[in-house]
Amino acid sequence: MPSHHSLTRREILENCMALGSLAVVSSAPAAAMIAALQQQELRYRRPTPPNEIGPFYKKRAPETAMLRAPGDPGMPLAVSGQVFNTRADKLSNALVEVWQTDHLGHYDLEGYRYRAKLPVDTSGSYKFDSVMPGHYPDRVCQHVHYLVTAPGHKPLVTQLYFATDPVFEGDPDRNFGRDPLIHSRELVRPVILTGDPHEIEAAVRFEIVLELL
Amino acid sequence: MKRALCLFLAVLLLALSVFAADAKLERTITVSPDAIVSFTAISPKGDLIAGACRDGQLRLWAFPSGELRQAYSLQDQRISSLAFSADGTWLAAGGNRGAVKIWSLPSGQVKHDLKVGVSVLALALSPDKTLLAVAKQEQPAELWDLDVGRVITELPAKFSGSLALDFSPDGQWLASADADTEIRIYESHTGALRATASDLLLETFAVTFSSDSKYLYAGGADKTISVIDVGSGKIVRSFPKQSYVIGEMHHSADGKSLVAVYFDENSVKNPAPAMVWDVAGQSVRATFAEPGITPNGSGFLKDGRVLITGGSGPKLNIWSLR
Repeated sequence: MPSHHSLTRREILENCMALGSLAVVSSAPAAAMIAALQQQELRYRRPTPPNEIGPFYKKRAPETAMLRAPGDPGMPLAVSGQVFNTRADKLSNALVEVWQTDHLGHYDLEGYRYRAKLPVDTSGSYKFDSVMPGHYPDRVCQHVHYLVTAPGHKPLVTQLYFATDPVFEGDPDRNFGRDPLIHSRELVRPVILTGDPHEIEAAVRFEIVLELL
Repeated sequence: MKRALCLFLAVLLLALSVFAADAKLERTITVSPDAIVSFTAISPKGDLIAGACRDGQLRLWAFPSGELRQAYSLQDQRISSLAFSADGTWLAAGGNRGAVKIWSLPSGQVKHDLKVGVSVLALALSPDKTLLAVAKQEQPAELWDLDVGRVITELPAKFSGSLALDFSPDGQWLASADADTEIRIYESHTGALRATASDLLLETFAVTFSSDSKYLYAGGADKTISVIDVGSGKIVRSFPKQSYVIGEMHHSADGKSLVAVYFDENSVKNPAPAMVWDVAGQSVRATFAEPGITPNGSGFLKDGRVLITGGSGPKLNIWSLR
């Protein structure tokens, strides 16, 4: 008798239908519905892990993709990504809000330095220019806070971390737990250095996947 | 110019000496190095000090004697929040993995043993001790009916969860300071939303009702105490802004004074003051600022004095302020 691992997904679904654990109520043929279900399953994306909001969220941040002012010290940082839902739909109506420290690890509570709202484009893409955040003294790792919302979806509060953070000693797979607030390795993103040696810039991709309500 | 500078320094030194004279060291409690006290809660009468210790124990000391009365644990969890009932006969503690226990004092009998699943950020007991509000890490706060041991309702914010909770002295209202920066005021026994204060831009970490239950004092990252009208949710006035973030607040039994414990936005480990405010005049009545000390708890004594606790290694110091 073959083990269940030897069955294809289609065969499993056909068995489900034969045994009554899957019923198809549609004018379309059962085979077509099973094929559509398989397609939908393939499109599933895991939701982005949430992470704590922290104490210094400030509402009514300005809409701007340029968080860095001319002459700001610190390594220029360009972050980009796309917002999806778990069905892999691109969310063109999402709103990404980010906040972080300056390069020395200080949050601006008086104004809105290094805080912004980022509307996404028609493909759900967002991007912003900033500086690499410093180490906030009460935290272990450099990080950028995210609040992502979209109608019909669960709001996501999370944080982006950098694989180049000295805390990880070049091995975030092994060392991401050194920051007790990092519960998922997935939030530690690779860093790409661009530009020339006189003017390097760090670039990071951070895709966001929201859960449906 | 030099003379003006000298005069300024002289005034500053005089002011500092006045502030130092405000605080009297009443007691030092020494614990073992693994049991350093992270934060405290002071009973409404000021006769008990509960300390959340790093070894996971909750220790209860008598004040002013400093005698250790009880030591409790929370199922091997780190204690993340503490709250006394208004009459001082119950003590509630929440843990970093969702355990909540309520003990009767002085017997130490466990009255309630609950589980809420995630780290508990704040707790509040209603004055009649029939309700418990629980702020949960990144999840909606919960309102529990303690008589039947079940959740009456969740208290959702737009996102994330709640950071501070308080029941009004008349038991009618529950205030929740939420991470979305809004403060929501609910009817205690139903959890129905009564008013929302949405004018604050930054997160609030401390809320306490006025003694007549008509106003709510709120303080947090905006470094000021806002006075919120409970009926409308509108901010009716604000105290003068300070240089530090407000982490904790309590009001005196007569409602005339507030104590606010501050922390440095750049690190909670940095020294920071505590201030006693005159509510009517919105002026500072006394300031606590000890070199190298970050206050980790506060409360009022029956005679109106304020107690401030602060750690220095394995020593927990307790000061009083007039």
